[in-house]
Amino acid sequence: MGEERGPGGAVHLLCLAASSGVPLFCRSSRGGVPTRQQLPFSVIGSLNGVHMFGQNLDVQLSSARTEDTTVVWKSFHDSITLIVLSSEGGHSELKLERLLQMVFGAMVLLVGLEELTNIRNIERLKKELRASYHLIDSFLGNSELIGDLTQCVDCVIPPEGSPLQEALSNFAKATRTAFVSLVVSGRVLAATEGWWRLGTPEAVLLPWLLGSLPPQTARDYPVYLPHGSPTVPHRLLTLMLLPGLELCLLCGPQPLLSQLDPQLLESWWQPLLEPLRASVLLGPGALPAGFPLHEDILGLLLLHLELRRCLFTVEPSGDKEPSLVQRRRLLRSFYSLVTSTHFPPEPGLPEKVEDTAQKAQVPRACYLVSGPEEPGTGWRLVALQVGPRRLLLLLSPQSPTHGLRSLATHTLQALTPLF
Amino acid sequence: MAKPPAPGSVLVPDWHESAEGKEYLRCILRKSRRRVFGECLSPVTSVTCCSLQGAEESVGKGSLVAKAHKLLLPSPHHAKWLPRPSTGIQTTVVFWPAKLQASSRVVMFRFEFWDCGESALTKFDHMLPACQEKADAFLFLFSFTDRASFEDLPGQLARVTGEAPGAVKMVIGSKFDQYMHTDVPEQDLRAFRQAWELPLLRVKSVPGRRLADGRTLDGWAGLADMAHVLNSLAEHLWHQDQVAAGLLASSPENTPD
Ligand SMILES: Nc1nc2c(ncn2[C@@H]2O[C@H](COP(=O)(O)OP(=O)(O)O)[C@@H](O)[C@H]2O)c(=O)[nH]1
Ligand SMILES: [Mg+2]
Repeated sequence: MGEERGPGGAVHLLCLAASSGVPLFCRSSRGGVPTRQQLPFSVIGSLNGVHMFGQNLDVQLSSARTEDTTVVWKSFHDSITLIVLSSEGGHSELKLERLLQMVFGAMVLLVGLEELTNIRNIERLKKELRASYHLIDSFLGNSELIGDLTQCVDCVIPPEGSPLQEALSNFAKATRTAFVSLVVSGRVLAATEGWWRLGTPEAVLLPWLLGSLPPQTARDYPVYLPHGSPTVPHRLLTLMLLPGLELCLLCGPQPLLSQLDPQLLESWWQPLLEPLRASVLLGPGALPAGFPLHEDILGLLLLHLELRRCLFTVEPSGDKEPSLVQRRRLLRSFYSLVTSTHFPPEPGLPEKVEDTAQKAQVPRACYLVSGPEEPGTGWRLVALQVGPRRLLLLLSPQSPTHGLRSLATHTLQALTPLF
Repeated sequence: MAKPPAPGSVLVPDWHESAEGKEYLRCILRKSRRRVFGECLSPVTSVTCCSLQGAEESVGKGSLVAKAHKLLLPSPHHAKWLPRPSTGIQTTVVFWPAKLQASSRVVMFRFEFWDCGESALTKFDHMLPACQEKADAFLFLFSFTDRASFEDLPGQLARVTGEAPGAVKMVIGSKFDQYMHTDVPEQDLRAFRQAWELPLLRVKSVPGRRLADGRTLDGWAGLADMAHVLNSLAEHLWHQDQVAAGLLASSPENTPD
C-alpha cells in the first residue's frame, strides 16, 4: 500500500519522438516537488530501446517492475512515446498509466494533435512543448485535486439554493456561449449543460489548468480539446471574479476578451458577490459549509461514475494526524487499489437502465487497515459502491472495524443528494 | 504621441513615499486582497489598457507584470509564482495612485497590462490585433542581456506607430540587475533616445524581500523597483489625455518624423 511510499521517492517522466527516439523533454519530481534531476542519456536510450525492440516483434511492452521502481510505457498515435518511472511506492500501474494519459492530454491541449503526430521540426516542437511543462509538473506534484487519477471532474458543491447556477446559465445565454463554468481553485463550482458534456480528458484538464496557473485578471488562451477538437483550437477565456474564483468560457472567435469588460462583469456578478465570496471559501473543503460528517472521517472521495464528477476533501479534523498530504496519498493509493483489483473498472457508458437499477440494490464494499497491526492503530480505509456512486473514506484508528460499513453507508446516503 | 512631459511636471514626484501616498497604497494593499469588484477606490479613476510588446521571447514581460501585481497583492499564494512561457493572452490589473501637480488631486490609475506569449502570437493571427486594439499605451521591452531584443525595437515601434498614432509609447529595459553582463552599452541607449525621443526606463523584475514568514513578499520593499515605472506610465498617460482633450497644446515637434 501507498503509505510506505517514502518522502524521497522520485518520479521521472520522459517524452520521446517515437520514430527517431529523440527525447522531447524530461520532467522529474522528488517527494512531489519538481526537481531538475535528469536521467542519464544512456538510461533514456535503453528504456526507449526495450520498448521499440518489443514493438518490432509485435510485443507491446506496457509495464515493468523492479524492487523499488515501476516503469510504464505508452505510445500515442505512433508518434509520441511517454515513459514514466516511479520509485514512490504504492504506484500501481493503473495510476501511472492514467498519469501518462493525462500528460499526453495536456500536450494536445496546449500544442494541438497535428503538431504531435506530424512532427516536421523537432526543435520547434520542443520549444512549443515548454508551454505545457508547468501543467505536466502539476501532475507530478502533490496536487489537492484527484481528477488526474479518477478521470472525473473535481467539484465543489455550492450551498443549497445557491443562485449561481441560474446566473451562470443566464450569463451564458447573454454571451451566446454554450460552455461556461465557475471554477474555484481548480474545482468546478457550477457549469452549463454544455460544459458538463465536455469529454474526457478536457473536462478534467481545463479546470486543472486553471488551478495550476498564477493568478491573472483575465486570459485568452488557445486550447485544443484532446477528445472533442484535437486539431482545431478553441479559445479558453477566464475572468477573475474574486481571487481564487474564475469565470471560464470555452468559445470560438466570439466574444472578444475586450468585450467582457469590467462593467459587463460587474453588472452580472456584483449582485451575487456574497454567494461568490462564500464559494471561494469552499475550495479544498469541497462540501457545503456545515455539512454533517462523522467525526471519525479524515478524508473523503465521492465519485459519480456516470456523470464523471468527484468530490475530494481531506479537510475534516485537519488539525489531527495524519497530515493533509499524507491523507491525500492514502486515499489516492486506496483508490488505485480498489479500482484495479476490487471493483471493476468504471463503466464507460451507463448500461441499460434496468441494470443500473438492479445494481443499486447490491452495495459492494471493501475495507483495509493501513499501518501497524495492533488493534486501535492504523488508518481505516473503506470503499463502498452503490449504483453509479463510489465512496472512499479515510477514518481514524479509533473507528471500530465492525461499524465501518454502516458508517460508509450512512455517509453515502447523506452525500447522495449532492450529485 | 504628444511630446513626453518632463519627468515630475505632471505628477508630484515621489508622492508614493509621502505619508499621504502611503495611506493610499495601504488602502490598495488591503482592498485588492479581497476585492476585484467595486473598483472605484477614488473619485477620479483613470482606466487604461497597456499592451506589452517585445520581439524576443523571455525579455521579461511576464516578470514585469508579475512584479507590479505581486507588489500590490502580497499574499502567500503568489509566492509560488514563477515566470513561465504563456500560451496566450493574459491580462493583469494593477492600481496605482498618483497626485497631480496642477490641482493637487489624487488620481487612481487602473492599469490593465496585456501580455501575449510569442509562440501564440506567431501561431494565431487573431492574437496581435486583440492585444493592440484597445491599447492606450504600448510598453516596448528589451532585455539588457539580449542585444537582439534591443535591435528589434525600431521595427516594433514602426509597426505600432502606424496602427496607434495617439497611444503612449515607452521603452523599458529589463533585467537591469544584470547590468554587469549587458549587451546594450550606454552610448547605444543614448543614440536610441535621441532618434526616438521616447521615455526609456530600466527595471529589475527580481523578487523583492520576503516577510518574516519567508514566503510573503514585502510589498513595500518592492515599491522602489516598480514605482518609477508606474509613475512614469501614469504621468505620460495623464499628459496624453490632456493633449487629446485639447487642454494642452501639442508642440510642433510632435509630428512624427
Ligand atoms: N535577473 C533578472 N531576470 C529576469 C528579469 N526579468 C525576467 N527575468 C527572467 O527572464 C526569464 C524570462 O522572463 P519572462 O518574464 O517569462 O519573459 P517574457 O517571455 O517576456 O514574458 C525568466 O527566467 C525570468 O526569471 C529581471 O529583471 N532580472
Ligand atoms: Mg511571458
